[in-house]
Amino acid sequence: MLNIEEIQKILPQKFPFLMLDRVLELEPGKKITALKNISINEGFFGGHFPGMPVMPGVLIIEAMAQAAIIMLYSPKEEQADSKAAYYLASVKMRFLHPLTAGDQLKIAVEPIKIISGAGLVKVKASAGDKEVASGELSFSRKNG
Amino acid sequence: MPDLESEIRDMIAQIVEKDPSEVTPDAKFFEDLGMDSMMALEIMAGMEKRYKITIPEEKLTKLTTLRETVAVAREYLEKNNA
Repeated sequence: MLNIEEIQKILPQKFPFLMLDRVLELEPGKKITALKNISINEGFFGGHFPGMPVMPGVLIIEAMAQAAIIMLYSPKEEQADSKAAYYLASVKMRFLHPLTAGDQLKIAVEPIKIISGAGLVKVKASAGDKEVASGELSFSRKNG
Repeated sequence: MPDLESEIRDMIAQIVEKDPSEVTPDAKFFEDLGMDSMMALEIMAGMEKRYKITIPEEKLTKLTTLRETVAVAREYLEKNNA
């Protein structure tokens, strides 16, 4: 398990673009389960939508991508001052259920194929017993 | 055994969003079909999943035409059956 301090050490993203609060389970390179608690104070709820708070699907994708970065993080290869840079290449996603304030977003990521400069991962999001989204992300990776 | 070439052709056509008839055995993925390296990775992963094979990373640069791609798949299928 990783707490928010440990997550912040790994992810290049910072406030207000940290989309994970906690890592529940991590097998480096093989599997990760991470959490985001969705609060009514999220900035995006101001406009998405007034009077009807729905978490934007693109931000669910961002949370999935951040979980993938943590799954692939290797302390041996990366120093704190030379982090790998990730560029999202393609997204295949199906959204099944909307998320709102009070929901706890659970993200699960598994590799499909990882090579040195790129990767393809399978991603799943759920809240309680509901499946929220599932799909695949591909990205390229450049070592810093 | 199903027709490997036509299965792989359909998979490639879907990834590059072209009609399968455009994916001729020697059409060049990058120049003729507008493929990029991330799509090549998807093809590699797609073949691994469908045929339950593992293709090493170095083979990615061999995936340049349908003919070459089918040859790579066949090589690893034969290794699996050996």
